Amino acid sequence: MARGRCVKALQGIAVLGALAVLAGGVLAWFSQVTEDAVHRNRQAAEAQVVRELAGADVEMAGVAGEDDVLFCKPGLVVLRGDGRGYGGAFRLAVAVRGDGAVAGVRVIEHRETPGFGDILKAGAAWLNSFRNGKVHAVTGATVTSTAVIATVERLAARGRQEACLR
Amino acid sequence: MSVFAAAALRRNPVWAQLLGLCPLLAVSNTVANAAGLAIASAVVLTGSATVVALVRKLIPKDVRLPCFVLIIATFTTIVGLAMEAYAFALHQRIALFVQIIVTNCMILGQIERVASHERVGRTLLDALGISAGFAVAILVLGATRELLAMGFPLAAMPAGAFLVAGMLLALVRAVEERAARHRSGNLGSSR
Repeated sequence: MARGRCVKALQGIAVLGALAVLAGGVLAWFSQVTEDAVHRNRQAAEAQVVRELAGADVEMAGVAGEDDVLFCKPGLVVLRGDGRGYGGAFRLAVAVRGDGAVAGVRVIEHRETPGFGDILKAGAAWLNSFRNGKVHAVTGATVTSTAVIATVERLAARGRQEACLR
Repeated sequence: MSVFAAAALRRNPVWAQLLGLCPLLAVSNTVANAAGLAIASAVVLTGSATVVALVRKLIPKDVRLPCFVLIIATFTTIVGLAMEAYAFALHQRIALFVQIIVTNCMILGQIERVASHERVGRTLLDALGISAGFAVAILVLGATRELLAMGFPLAAMPAGAFLVAGMLLALVRAVEERAARHRSGNLGSSR
């Protein structure tokens, strides 16, 4: 009786284990197949954000590191950086002017809760409020908004030190 | 009624079983989004149901649910990756809802009830029927909301989704009831 149960349990573990290995293999293969296209799409999305923030068609600077400079000229620098919100990692682009003020913020990708993440859409009033320097956390989306504010501040501080800004 | 038509109409996941309503309400704000989610759900449902039907005799009863969820999750991830690679604009709008197809009870229910007992051919037809039924429901809701939103912006908002879906559901029920009464009326006269 006990032995039968033991065999049954082992059988279940074996089937589930084999299935998991198989699924992992299929996913590893497919993510490799789509890797290049996904990478191209993400770069195109970032280039679009730089076009919106800097008003210029530019080659990606592609500097390695945590916070990358996407675009830089005297008077304007655009940086990209990651933060961690309620639903996981998000990626922002922040434009900083020569006088140190934030010229614009765009969200490149995020996983915030649908609805609550609406404050992150391009053109949303809350994202635009970064431009006049008075930004408040959003009721109901406290984690998302405070995480975005912290990331924008970090990127802006980094941007102000950029040598090519002057 | 054929297997396909019965699955799409009489057992329609949305208006007969009231399943899959979360993505239905969330992504039906435009026809394009609705079509994207309908296709993604159809691929996951049909693919995972077929795989389960193929391997159903190898899966012990005790671990069938984790096995089913594993298979569904694999298909969902594949669809998500394919969308990110080949339909990036759509991915940016509805990626979150494609990820939660994993937890869609329409799919797990279909697999538990049909794919784990039936042969591959019948499972495939049934899954295609359910997918078509879901697609019709979400496209009608998407089209109605997009059209109504031109005059009533409320229709495009989350609250509007509940209102429009409720009214469409009532309409379908009314039509069904009328048809049923019509049928029983004909039956009476033929006697």
